[in-house]
Order: sequence, then C-alpha cells, then structure tokens
Amino acid sequence: MIAMSIIDRESVLRGLTVQEAMRRLVIRSTYHAPLEQATRLMIKYKVNALLVTDEEENGIGVLSKTDVMAAYYAEMAVDTPIEAMMTGPPLFCSLRDPLDEALETMRGKGVHRLYVSGEMPGKAIGVLAYPDIVGILYRYCYKCERSLTRRRGAQSSIPEAERLKVHEVMTPSVHSHAEDETLFQVMEGLSSHRLGAALITARDGRPSGIISKTDLIIAYRHRVAPDVPARTIMSSPVLACSQSDLLCNAIQTMIFSDVHRLFVYGEDTRQVAGVLSLTDAARIRSGTCRACIATRVVIGGGSA
Amino acid sequence: MGETARDIMDTRLYTLHPHTPVAEAAAILRKAREELGRPVFGMIVVDNEGKLVGMASMYDILLLTRPKHIHIWGEMADIDATGIIREACLRAKPILVGDIMTTNVVTVTPDTHLLLIVDIMIKRHIRRLPVLEDGKVVGMVYLSKVFDYFVDQLIL
Repeated sequence: MIAMSIIDRESVLRGLTVQEAMRRLVIRSTYHAPLEQATRLMIKYKVNALLVTDEEENGIGVLSKTDVMAAYYAEMAVDTPIEAMMTGPPLFCSLRDPLDEALETMRGKGVHRLYVSGEMPGKAIGVLAYPDIVGILYRYCYKCERSLTRRRGAQSSIPEAERLKVHEVMTPSVHSHAEDETLFQVMEGLSSHRLGAALITARDGRPSGIISKTDLIIAYRHRVAPDVPARTIMSSPVLACSQSDLLCNAIQTMIFSDVHRLFVYGEDTRQVAGVLSLTDAARIRSGTCRACIATRVVIGGGSA
Repeated sequence: MGETARDIMDTRLYTLHPHTPVAEAAAILRKAREELGRPVFGMIVVDNEGKLVGMASMYDILLLTRPKHIHIWGEMADIDATGIIREACLRAKPILVGDIMTTNVVTVTPDTHLLLIVDIMIKRHIRRLPVLEDGKVVGMVYLSKVFDYFVDQLIL
C-alpha cells in the first residue's frame, strides 16, 4: 500500500525512547505456578502475556493467551505448570533504545512485545507492546493543533483526503464461524489464521458475536467444555465501524470502549469487510492524518 | 499471650465463593456494609469445604472495569464518554470472583499478638487479616479495630 510506505519512511515516533512508551507494571508468574493462576492474572490485569520467571525473578519465558488457548485445545488440566506451555526465552530491549528500533525488532522477530531491562540483565522493569504505541500516537494527534479529535464538533483544518481512513489500515479479510460450530473449531480457525478473534455468525450469515482469545481463556478457567457451541461463550453485540470512518475516530472508540479490535463494514453494511485492531493502528506508526508526515513533525518536541 | 487477635477480631463472617459472579459479589459487599454499619472493602473467598482460597476486594473489582488505555484519558477532558462506565460494567459481568481474587493471602491465628499484627499490616499494606484456627477462618482483624484498641489505651 503506498500510504504505508510513505509513513514508514517518516515516523512520528522518531526521537522517542523505549522508556517513554513502555508500561512499568510487568505481570509475571513463576514457571511452576499453574496455568489457572496465569489465566487469572491475564483476566485481572488485562494483559495478553505474562513474563515467566525463575525464583530469582529472572525472565526465562513468556506465556501468551495463544499458549493458554493451546492448552485449552489440548484439554490440559488447569493445574498444569506454566513451564509446560511457555515459550522462551523472552526478548529484551533497553530503556534508552530508540522506540523505532525496538519496533523494528518486534517486527523482525515476529513478536508482540519486548521486555525492558534496566541495570540488571534478565530482570524486567517494563514491557513494550504494540497497543501501547497507539496510546502515544493518539496522544500526539490529540495535542496537534490541527487535531480533529480535540475540538469535537469544530471544523478541522485538515482536508478530508489527508486523514487516514479505516480501510487503509485494516486487515482486509475476516475469519468467521457459525454459532453452532464448537470452540474446538473456533480455536483451530484462530490458530491456523494466527488471529486474535473470530466473528461469529447467525444462521442467516449476519454477525451475531465475537470470540476472542480472551473469551477462550475465560472459558478455560471456568472449565467450559471445548466442544460446546460458539454461541455459549461469544460476546455480543459486535463492535464495528465503517471502512470509510476516520482512523482517529475508530482508535478513539477502541480506547474508550476498552476493546482491542473493531470489525469493519464495507460498502454493503450487511457484510463485514475486515478487522481493525490497535496493533494494526500501531504498525503504521503514524498519527491519524498525513499532515504529520508532510510537515515532518517529530513527536517529543523539535522538528526533523 | 495477652493482647491478641482474639480480643479484637470480628466473628461476623461474610464470605464469597470463587464461582460468585462479580456483580453478585458487589451486592454482597454492599449488604455487609449495611448490616455492619461500616464500610466493607473486601471479603474472604472460601471453597465448598469452607477453606480459605483467596481475598477479593473492591479494588479488584474496580481494576477489572478500568480500561487498559486509561492513562491517555486524562488529556482528553472534553471527550464525550457517556455510557462508558455502563459498558465497562457490562463487560465485567461474565467474570467470577475466582478470576480476580488475590490468592496470596496473609493470615494470623487467634493467638497472634496485636503488635505483630500491626507490624504485618504496616509492612505489607494490609487492612484486613483473616484469622485461622485449624485451617478454618474464625474471624477477621480490621485495621480500624486495631487502631481503636490502641486509641483506647492512649487516651486512658
């Protein structure tokens, strides 16, 4: 996509360091704790992965929701130790690494998060994940004097064509399952397509709910048998936006409604044309309009 | 052993179960507050055999309703967030007490000295301690009751 390549050349994140973007609260568990405890921490603290540590709090692995879903699929007992499902070792970056460089590492290594080490190697003092970047981008846009999000109802000085639309950033395909398919089938679908959530459709093909990995790990914790129909645990209604909506408005909806993704309706509002996630929004590493690229504004003060 | 947990523990016990939905737990917290005539911010969680398995607090419930990216909100004072709290509460509905409770619970026995209890509460920032006897919860020691006891001695 042309827009993407332009954006990649001039990132608004330039000049920022990992320290300014990371979360300081690292949710962790020791390798011998049961998966049941890991799922509780994921639900309680709304994180997609835990840092797995040894007794001395050294990071030795990562347990993601995907790993927990795999345990659910394999019908493993919830008291199985975390070490049976964790992957590792965790990837670390440093506090003062340029944010752009850290994101490159994430992209290159195909990981969703980097742990941040301070003085002591192997000890995590923070974590950097894609959705947190959106927070910075959004804050940046909000402070921009040409912001359209800041003055609700006021005219923005940015021409319509300059503003990024949802369809430019979304994943233009959607994976769905029928309501009466089993959780086993939904998990197979999510796993083979490497997705975080699937759309659930009613008999007439209309979207009726969503099953995300979060819904699945909650089901695992609640001992729901994985052969029940999808409708048993799906969350509804389906939060959606239109492909012609402005990206900034869609990001705002996700941040305020505390959801990671929106399904996107195409021209025909009965058809879901794609999915927009906070990760998609973070990957483009731009603000929400082209103005910041054109004027080469650098976040954090100064200009390029 | 003198002045111990036994002297100040509250034996009126309100309990939650790991399978209690969060909304029901919130209602039980409110009911306890009304019956006891003082704020109740947390409760013990017991299994079917009455064994202590965790503690759940108002804080745990609030944590669940807090949006993940809330740190950005502070800079957006004029954004219309009507209905967002209701949405957050609806999303919390399928969650059970067992999903959010704290399992690492510090306990004392009826014979634990009050000064040891003060030390535990200060060092570990704990406001309520379950009192265990033969593996069963027999009472709760609250920070406010501990303080009341010391105030009584101070003003003698």
